Amino acid sequence: MTSLSRNYWSTRILFPEKLYQGLDRVTHSLLGLSRRRPGILQKMHQEAEHIAELSLTFQHVSDRRLRDRLDEFKVLFRRQKNGREEVLPEAFAIMTEAAYRTLGMRPYPVQILGAMAMYHGYLAEMSTGEGKTLTACLPAILAGWSGRPCHIITVNDYLAGRDANEMKPLYTYCGVKTGVVTSAMDPAERSKNYRQDVVYTTSKEILADFLRDRLKIGICHQPSRRLLRQMRHPGNARSDALVMRGLDTVIVDEADSVLIDEAVTPLIISQSQENKGLLLACSRADRIAQSFVRDEDYQAVMKYREVNLTEAGRDKIEALSATLPGIWRGTSRREELVVQALTAREFYQRDKQYVIQEDKVVIVDEFTGRLMPNRTWRQGMHQAVEACEQLEMSDPSETLARLSFQRFFRFFRKLSGMTGTGCEAAGEFWQIYRLPVLTIPNHRPCQRVLSPDRIFVDEEQKWRAIVEDIDHCHASGRPVLVGTRSVKMSEKLAEMLTEKGLSVNLLNAVRHQEEARIVAAAGAPGALTISTNMAGRGTDIKLGQGVAELGGLHVIATEKNESGRIDRQLFGRCARQGDPGSALAYACVSDELFQRFATVPVRKVVTAAISKGSPGAQKLAEKSIARAQRSAERLASRQRSGILKMDTWLADALSFTGSNVDF
Amino acid sequence: MSKNSKTFSESWHRIADQKIGLRANVKIRKQYFRGEKWYVLHDPFNNQFFRLRPEAYVFVVRLRQDRTVGETWDESLKRDPDGVPGQEEVIQLLSQLHFANLLYYERPSDSANLFDRYKRRKQRELKSKLLSIMFFRIPLFDPDRLLKRCMPITKLMISYGAALLWFVVVGFALKLVFDRFDEVASQAQGLLSPDNLLFLYLGMVLVKTLHEFGHAVVCRHFGGEVHTMGIMFLIFTPIPYMDATSSWSFRSRWHRAFVGAAGMIVEVFAAALATFVWAYTGPGLVHGLAYNMMFIASVSTILFNINPLLRFDGYYILSDLLDIPNLHTQSRLYLRHLVEYYLFAYKDSISPIQTRREAFWLATFGIMSGIYRIVVFTGIILFVADQFLLAGLFMAMVCVISWGVVPLFKFIQYLATSPRLARSRLRATAISFGAIVAVVFFLAICPFPNRFRAPGVLEASHYVQVVNHASGYVDAVLVPSGEDVEFGSPLLRLSDRELELEIEGAKAQKEETVALQKLARYRNTADLEPIRKRLETIEEKLANLLYRQRALIVKTREEGTWVSPGSNEMVGTWIPRGTNVGTVVNHDQFRFSAVVSQDEASNLFADQLRNVEVRLYGQSGTPLRVTSYEIIPFQHERLPSAALGWRAGGDVAVAVTDESGLEAAEPFFQIYAEIDPRPDVAFLHGRSGKIRFSMSPEPLLFQWGRSLRQLLQKRYQI
Repeated sequence: MTSLSRNYWSTRILFPEKLYQGLDRVTHSLLGLSRRRPGILQKMHQEAEHIAELSLTFQHVSDRRLRDRLDEFKVLFRRQKNGREEVLPEAFAIMTEAAYRTLGMRPYPVQILGAMAMYHGYLAEMSTGEGKTLTACLPAILAGWSGRPCHIITVNDYLAGRDANEMKPLYTYCGVKTGVVTSAMDPAERSKNYRQDVVYTTSKEILADFLRDRLKIGICHQPSRRLLRQMRHPGNARSDALVMRGLDTVIVDEADSVLIDEAVTPLIISQSQENKGLLLACSRADRIAQSFVRDEDYQAVMKYREVNLTEAGRDKIEALSATLPGIWRGTSRREELVVQALTAREFYQRDKQYVIQEDKVVIVDEFTGRLMPNRTWRQGMHQAVEACEQLEMSDPSETLARLSFQRFFRFFRKLSGMTGTGCEAAGEFWQIYRLPVLTIPNHRPCQRVLSPDRIFVDEEQKWRAIVEDIDHCHASGRPVLVGTRSVKMSEKLAEMLTEKGLSVNLLNAVRHQEEARIVAAAGAPGALTISTNMAGRGTDIKLGQGVAELGGLHVIATEKNESGRIDRQLFGRCARQGDPGSALAYACVSDELFQRFATVPVRKVVTAAISKGSPGAQKLAEKSIARAQRSAERLASRQRSGILKMDTWLADALSFTGSNVDF
Repeated sequence: MSKNSKTFSESWHRIADQKIGLRANVKIRKQYFRGEKWYVLHDPFNNQFFRLRPEAYVFVVRLRQDRTVGETWDESLKRDPDGVPGQEEVIQLLSQLHFANLLYYERPSDSANLFDRYKRRKQRELKSKLLSIMFFRIPLFDPDRLLKRCMPITKLMISYGAALLWFVVVGFALKLVFDRFDEVASQAQGLLSPDNLLFLYLGMVLVKTLHEFGHAVVCRHFGGEVHTMGIMFLIFTPIPYMDATSSWSFRSRWHRAFVGAAGMIVEVFAAALATFVWAYTGPGLVHGLAYNMMFIASVSTILFNINPLLRFDGYYILSDLLDIPNLHTQSRLYLRHLVEYYLFAYKDSISPIQTRREAFWLATFGIMSGIYRIVVFTGIILFVADQFLLAGLFMAMVCVISWGVVPLFKFIQYLATSPRLARSRLRATAISFGAIVAVVFFLAICPFPNRFRAPGVLEASHYVQVVNHASGYVDAVLVPSGEDVEFGSPLLRLSDRELELEIEGAKAQKEETVALQKLARYRNTADLEPIRKRLETIEEKLANLLYRQRALIVKTREEGTWVSPGSNEMVGTWIPRGTNVGTVVNHDQFRFSAVVSQDEASNLFADQLRNVEVRLYGQSGTPLRVTSYEIIPFQHERLPSAALGWRAGGDVAVAVTDESGLEAAEPFFQIYAEIDPRPDVAFLHGRSGKIRFSMSPEPLLFQWGRSLRQLLQKRYQI
């Protein structure tokens, strides 16, 4: 039986404020700008330098005295006493010294600066390879002292385990216990780890555990009301079964991918449920859809990923479903089913959106390229794809709980984070998460050579150029890392290279287990690695012997991404911590980005300019790529805020179902 | 049900397990709107209404507290696969019912959320109160019990007998008003005078109280409950109001319309009674009050209550009779649909109408009410500003914000962020922008004829006032008035007996003096000089007298028509010298003498007058060309003819103190225009008309701006 206050805090959630509208929004964004003003960074930077100097004075102080001092701090923070702010520089200084004694690494002033920014609730934008793992420890220790649950969100299980392990001595020295929660753990193990002061985990794990806990709580979500109920019916107390300690402080690594790129994909807790009717309907819809011809019976709108039936198509459905029973008798239902089947056919592509393993459709995360078994698309869609692939259809899963990351991370009292590329989305971070972005300067100047994009009209030409480039680079002994947008592309490229007789390390959705290890090895001399864009993020690519002299790691992007941020993340894999390195992107007019987000006349002009080789074609193409990226980002951002609004509205409208943070 | 709703929803799990039902006290009634079946849910506790389509109703009534929403839905799906609302629709529906407080649910509700909702509702109410500050309401008491107690009496009042009585009384009152219309009209002039304002207001309160009770009684009679009565500040004037919204649940639209009309029926009856009181009392308190009641009850009924374009009784009656509830909202939705569908190419827009008849009514109503609102509120603001300048400015500001700035801002926001325009935002923005540019171009660049008019009278350019140069009794009128006369022809003959005697005397004196002269010549030559002087004097006097005698025949010094309407009455009367006995008017040439006010004077001297023409009253179809005109660059105060002044029904303000009606209230400028005669226009001296100056064309925006500035300058001396 946990204490009353623990019990209370374990289910307490901060109600996120509504998104501002109209003039309020303008005022609010001005407030955000003022929190990002350069003066703040300067002041903090000076303080960080001062702390770094101060830490040197502790060099000759004995471990015991340092520990005593840390214990004093711990009490101060634990009891939330006044005077915490005054001792903060000293606390940071002693932690810096402790890091040196335990890990052999002395945090640079910029790392201390990042830690301070995070302590004050900022999103610290730090270039890749600046030692974010260590940076995150310092604010985590401060949070751990307070006794409130502190979570550090990493990109994947491997990184969670590695970071927790590497940093453990520092935490232990400072009197903070750490835990790790990974996907393989059972509830008892999770529960044990969640009880530690600082918990390393991934966003998916923490959200899933949160939802499962919520499902356990049952009707009364409000903590005080729940406690009163428990007092009245002591027999029903079930809170012991809760896995988590509650939500308070969270530090998100790679905040932009967690809070923005993947934020709208909701996490769903579901159980499969037999529904013969649906399966039958889906297979019938697929059969009807097979006779449909594109642009004759229906139109597929690329930009919005939707299918519109034509009049001919409607008539066809009516004719084909004339003899069918039940749900097929009404117009709207049957058209919906056929449109779904057509959507599955048009926009869900094998090896891009999903792969087939053991006769099952397995969804591929479009951003990371990682496989997501056990995930399904919304009701009916998954079955429609299965029907399209002529697979045996699985029972639809019934959703028990569902919450988007976007909404989830707004529940924390104190949210802070780190990222390599944050300033592009600073507005969104502030509007949605109240998270101001602070750009931390680099410890060492960056030596990355970024070549201008190479743009082609013909796709084959582009691939040939890429292969040539790789070949050339490989011959010189430099390691090469190629980022592709989909599994299909990565396999295609690997094939082309193998034909040339090059040995390739292919890292894609299908081989995700070893991803971090493969990426870590990508810096070895002569290494040739192909990966999907986001795979192995956060992994430090250490350059092998003599690679630096050759010019460091060479990164190639085979396609421009819909967000410039993701391009920058990929380029960030090379030239870390002052190492040399080079990066370059290839693009083609027939790329998806161009097809979806550039207008037809723009495409025509660019195509003509490039094929003629007219002067300024390069500039023009770059400009139009940047434009397409901007419009893609705008669309995505609008969709995200639309989803958040919709979520908020639903919570409000369905408040009769329980609490208004329901999911 | 609806095409755009998905069968399955991702949020379904949130309500699938809920055990929800309608609250026990919710009453359901079937009702027909526009010939379509609807179900109206009514919560008598808080008078909330909610309208459901039959498909949704079938689902909602199936909801029970002993089974989950999911089970109910599955069952409904089996029964009627196409009719059942999709999951998304069910979520929408339940949330709306929840907002209307019509749902019972098993779970303890979230009280924090309830309070939050309450707070937000209060805020919304406050906001709408501020925005509709001209219809501000304060509820005072609940008249329901009083009305119930009065039911036996009111039953009598709502009967055929009562209707007959109503027609008889109103008929007699109408006859009375027609019989004594001149009195009614003359008293109306003093209606807004300050000493009558109190009466007017009292009359209004009395009449409106009766009016409101009329609604309430009829509503109660048909079974609707009336729970609120209070004071509404209509343009800051407190008047009573009551809430008869419960009549909306009446099944018969005629009942609904009757409730709407009841106020006016009572009011007209009260006006009729007041007419009798007014007709049979002498001037005094009761008489004045009765007159005011009569006036308000009839005029306000015609101008405001029955007018469907304002949201008073007429609007609700019309909407009941057309069977289009929320006519106003619907018409706006329809117009919006038209714009979105046809202009902005938002093809998913769903038209709120079902029939062509409805389309016609909604479109007409939407456009008319928009124009009407602008006109009426401009009028009200100008009126208030006339009385209290600051209040008027404040109101104008409120109006500009609530009908100008806020909608504009919302429209921009709509253009920029509305998901409805996601596909066609560029097109929508371009069209809106294009429309604005087109309007601005039209107003600011496209030149329009720019004219101003001034009243004036036709004058013969040569006419003489005939004046007698000698006094005398009029013996005879030699030429009857209206005849043409030659130069020098005699017009009147006067006689003066005394003049003749004086001539005789003078002649005698002359003879005497001549005799004296002769005598002196040989007696005393020294006297010769004085005597000669005397003779000269006497001769002079005689010549003068003879001249006067000749002048007794009054002659004209001009050819033309002899006009002397009063000359026949003059015969036998003494007229002193210098009396204007008539006019001789030359018909060959006329000029138009116009009066230009100070406002327009700047145009006059702007030296850009293009085309000038004159139109006479009664013949405005035939413009007369002006050959030349002359502006007298000096201010005048006396009008050329009284016909131009207010006193004689003209346009120009004249000084109140001046009896002749010629003294203008403010100085003006005069213009003489020579006009070409036309055979089909009779040129008569003194005929009034208007002169029109066309200036070089100017865009409307500048013209309006100038007019507005002139208006402000004139009204508020800004």
